[in-house]
Amino acid sequence: MPTRNIQNNIRRLRFDADEMTQQQLADKVGVSRQTIVAIEKGNYSPSLELAFKIALVFHTPLQDVFSYEPVNVAAKKKRKS
Amino acid sequence: MSYREKENIINIFSGLIITAIYAWFVYQRHLEGRIDLVDDFQAWGKLFLVYAGISVVARIIIYIVFHIINAIVTHNTEATHNREIPPEDERDKLIKLKALRNSHYSFVGGFMLAIIALAVGLPSYSIFIVFVVSGVVSELIDNGSQIYYYRKGV
Repeated sequence: MPTRNIQNNIRRLRFDADEMTQQQLADKVGVSRQTIVAIEKGNYSPSLELAFKIALVFHTPLQDVFSYEPVNVAAKKKRKS
Repeated sequence: MSYREKENIINIFSGLIITAIYAWFVYQRHLEGRIDLVDDFQAWGKLFLVYAGISVVARIIIYIVFHIINAIVTHNTEATHNREIPPEDERDKLIKLKALRNSHYSFVGGFMLAIIALAVGLPSYSIFIVFVVSGVVSELIDNGSQIYYYRKGV
């Protein structure tokens, strides 16, 4: 599997938004709950459009939802953990 | 297990069962001498067309039965329908696309094998047998890839 270098704060943002459920978020952005689960786990990097939709739901800039780390930094972090 | 994974598992088993039953049926007719699979290429053409028709009808029936059983097991009502059977989204489309790519590669491999079989002097009908096998294998790879991508990420 490729090293994932896109991190996200969706779990924390959902918690801050009155414990919004994954299903509620999925309904708001028009995807399945499984897709939200995959994004949260880092198993799927969403399209730019879906990323913006998620940011819009939480009324926050895109960079507060997703962050990018170069591949070698992400790999080092993974090895340490 | 998600609905999509179940769907792919059903596809794998239905594909194998339909092909196995049809192949057994055709082979029995060949043994009885009712069709000639060695020299009659027209018979092969007809068999492929009939197989395509039977496969479509059998799959529709299997899908209907699967949906009914799935709805009973998951207590799926009209209100929860979208949660149990989610509409196809961008991740589903990407997974399907990657699985289709893998499937096409394997079918092309099968096609090359069939050509090689002809080139090394195997009987002409072997090309059709290799086609059937590579068709089944590529379908297995398609569904297997989808299950893999759903579980491991894409």
